[in-house]
Amino acid sequence: MAKVVMSGIRKEFGSTVALSDFTLEIESGELVCLLGPSGCGKTTALRILAGFEKADAGTVTVGGEDITYVPTPKRNFGMVFQEYSLFPNMTGRANVEFALKLRKAGSAERKDTIDRLLEVTGLTEHADKYPHQMSGGQRQRVALARALASNPRVLLLDEPLSALDAKVRDSLREEIRRVQREIGVTTLFVTHDQHEALAIADRVGVMSHGRLEQIDPPRALYEQPASAFVAGFVGTVNRIPAQPDGDRWRVLNRSVPATATTAGATLAVIRPEQLAVDVDAAGTDTVREVVFLGPLTRLIIAREGGTLIADLLTAEFGGANAGDRVRVRLRDDVDDLVLIEG
Amino acid sequence: MGIVVKILRTIFLVLLGLFFFVPLLAMARFAFQSVPVVLLTPEKLLEGWSLAGLFEVFGNPEFQRATLISLQLMVLAILITLVLLLPVAALVEIRAPQLRTAMTAITLLPWVVPPVALVVGVAATFRSTVPWFLASPYSLVPFYVLWALPFSYRALDAGLRSIGARTLYEAARVMGASTFTIIVRVIIPNMIGAIIAASVLTAALVLGEFAFAALLLKETLPTFMAEFQRSEPRAGMALALSVMLLTALIIWIGVRALRKRGMDLQAAGV
Amino acid sequence: MRRRFDTATVVVAVPFLAFVGLFLFVPTIGLAIKAFTPGGSFGFSAMQRALEGTYRTAFINSLSLAVTSSLLGGVLGLLLALSLKSLTRPKWLRSTTDSWSAVAAQLGGIPLAFAFIAAIGTQGLITKLLSLVGVDIADSGFSLSEFWGLVVVYLYFQIPLMFLVMMPAVGGLKSTWGEAAAIMGSSPGRYWRSVALPLLVPSFLGGLLLLFVNSFAAYATAYVLNPGAQLVPLQIRFLLQGNVITGEQDLAYAIVLWTISLLLISLLLIAVLQRRTAKWASS
Repeated sequence: MAKVVMSGIRKEFGSTVALSDFTLEIESGELVCLLGPSGCGKTTALRILAGFEKADAGTVTVGGEDITYVPTPKRNFGMVFQEYSLFPNMTGRANVEFALKLRKAGSAERKDTIDRLLEVTGLTEHADKYPHQMSGGQRQRVALARALASNPRVLLLDEPLSALDAKVRDSLREEIRRVQREIGVTTLFVTHDQHEALAIADRVGVMSHGRLEQIDPPRALYEQPASAFVAGFVGTVNRIPAQPDGDRWRVLNRSVPATATTAGATLAVIRPEQLAVDVDAAGTDTVREVVFLGPLTRLIIAREGGTLIADLLTAEFGGANAGDRVRVRLRDDVDDLVLIEG
Repeated sequence: MGIVVKILRTIFLVLLGLFFFVPLLAMARFAFQSVPVVLLTPEKLLEGWSLAGLFEVFGNPEFQRATLISLQLMVLAILITLVLLLPVAALVEIRAPQLRTAMTAITLLPWVVPPVALVVGVAATFRSTVPWFLASPYSLVPFYVLWALPFSYRALDAGLRSIGARTLYEAARVMGASTFTIIVRVIIPNMIGAIIAASVLTAALVLGEFAFAALLLKETLPTFMAEFQRSEPRAGMALALSVMLLTALIIWIGVRALRKRGMDLQAAGV
Repeated sequence: MRRRFDTATVVVAVPFLAFVGLFLFVPTIGLAIKAFTPGGSFGFSAMQRALEGTYRTAFINSLSLAVTSSLLGGVLGLLLALSLKSLTRPKWLRSTTDSWSAVAAQLGGIPLAFAFIAAIGTQGLITKLLSLVGVDIADSGFSLSEFWGLVVVYLYFQIPLMFLVMMPAVGGLKSTWGEAAAIMGSSPGRYWRSVALPLLVPSFLGGLLLLFVNSFAAYATAYVLNPGAQLVPLQIRFLLQGNVITGEQDLAYAIVLWTISLLLISLLLIAVLQRRTAKWASS
């Protein structure tokens, strides 16, 4: 297994700068997710790591070895694409076997490896189908098996779940995580779906306009976003103006210590679950909509200055209706805030 | 892609380009330069060029008659192709996709029968029943429509598939539209690209088609050219070149129209 | 469930089928009948004569010409499609080739034959140019009216035709397949051998068929370059429109029937081959 270091990468396409001074380290066995909207450069970064694109500047190192100029076939990576990973003219088994034949494995070894991989990914009964006979989820599982067949140093996944149905997406995501942990392969996972990123990664790197804005474990990213962009992109956010109050900041009904992401930041990042809602006829806010989300109930509340989104545990939810007057306050257990600029 | 492969590719394309371009060049030279090849020397290379021969042809009454007929045949062939094929193609896509392979096979069949044979067969069939049909130059239209079938059907079918005709049809039905309205106001306007492709290919075929016309002893533009070439080699060559370029122009316009709609010839199934 | 053929289907399909029936099937069947009734009575004499002597030679010639120009044109057309797939600059190259191919594939024999006569005929421009350099084309046995001359001229429309047929298939080769192969450690050659070419084979076969049928029946080009050549289309015409001798017409019908049979068999053969090589394909 190997540690990946991408350092000072710059990539331009014509007049567009896809990546500027991009630096990323992935520890051996770690699963890092690159997250961001389309055009942020995450796919470009992946493709440079894979060797499909050449960086204009910067280096790529794997396991201490500089592979910046090493051609793709010699890098010994595995990759799963968003769609059309599998060769359509080969069965699932043949696809996986192709990877092994290329690494010059003997036929007995090939058979063993394939059988083991198919079992691990639960594909044994689908192995002899052609890709067009498989469902999207099955195809991606075979693609995963094939990517892992040659025991790669690094596993690359380019939005592997984006083309799948919601339910399949969830189960396949869990499977990728399980297999990756079991095998312990260094992994780079690219996605635009923040739920996916938060659920699967050891660390998530949020990208925007060719730059890595923040890279942290999922919880840190969620609770301590380093910029307005990250705050808004990861999870749902309420931006509530805060007033300075001594060495604290006052938001809604309470004063709390806060960290500013930049100088002059005065909007507090409040997550929906950090709000408490009391039904109060004298309240100045009104419930616009009540959305039942299963374990949570979401209230969309209109107030002067904008809209707030509050998530309450359904079990504890008192039962407000659209049109009710309510009072919104900061939950008592919130003791720390992040401030972003407007 | 290796550098060797790139070089080979460039050489290949250049050679192929020469292969396609040089005969045209030779044609142009012969047509527009009055210096015979035997006397051609590097000094004389720029002598004797004129378009006069070409303009003379344009004034030839036989030429004008033949061109008019060819143009009429072209329009008729396009119209009949569209009228016959659009409904069938739409039907297959919307209601009877299981017939698609049968249709593709049927449209390929005209090519299995050599033009010569087809002309003879049709002549034999019609001579005894409706002799006047064969006497008219418009009798060529069915042949042209048949001969263009493989391409025109493919273009229309591909067009229907790419616009999701079936979904459009069902959505419109839910809104209460009649089948006729749907075809005229929903399907066709969305298929202009494919219709252009089919028309343009049919047009190119009609303008270049020789076999059927010659066998039926009709005077169309291509047969006129063949005849004319015998008596006036240079002017005939000039004319042939002009017709080729005109056909290319028509197709180029068609391709541009397709591109504006975000398609290319591939999308049109050509 | 609706009946399979409701009124709309019938109303729409009938004109089309009537058209094809009237102008294609009926005449062909009529021809077939005539071929088997030489001189008015049922018999195989016409069919047999059609396979002897000069007619046999003509079949062989036409077959050789068609097979040669199809194979050469097929391979070159495929190479052209592949070359242009990966080429993004210059931008005009792709659309020009698309347009030009659509024209060239349909090129009637007349302008085409003229063009080649002007280029490499005995009074041709290139002939003259080459003679200045000391190369005498005629001396080496090349002639536009002979076999290889015809092949060269036929290629002018065979290559574009194959190009048009193959472009969709070539365009359908997903870049992810090539990239996946590279990541797995495959050389480009291995990828082509194991993935890309097998995927192209069915379309290639279809294209070959089209080229074969097209060139076998090609009439105009041969007519201009060598009206007296021993080729099937020319012979048919001669028999039918030259001096009409009773009995000779039946012969022509017989030749036509053999031709149609040959082309139909090729069609079936290719269809079977396509099914075999596309086991992996979705319908």
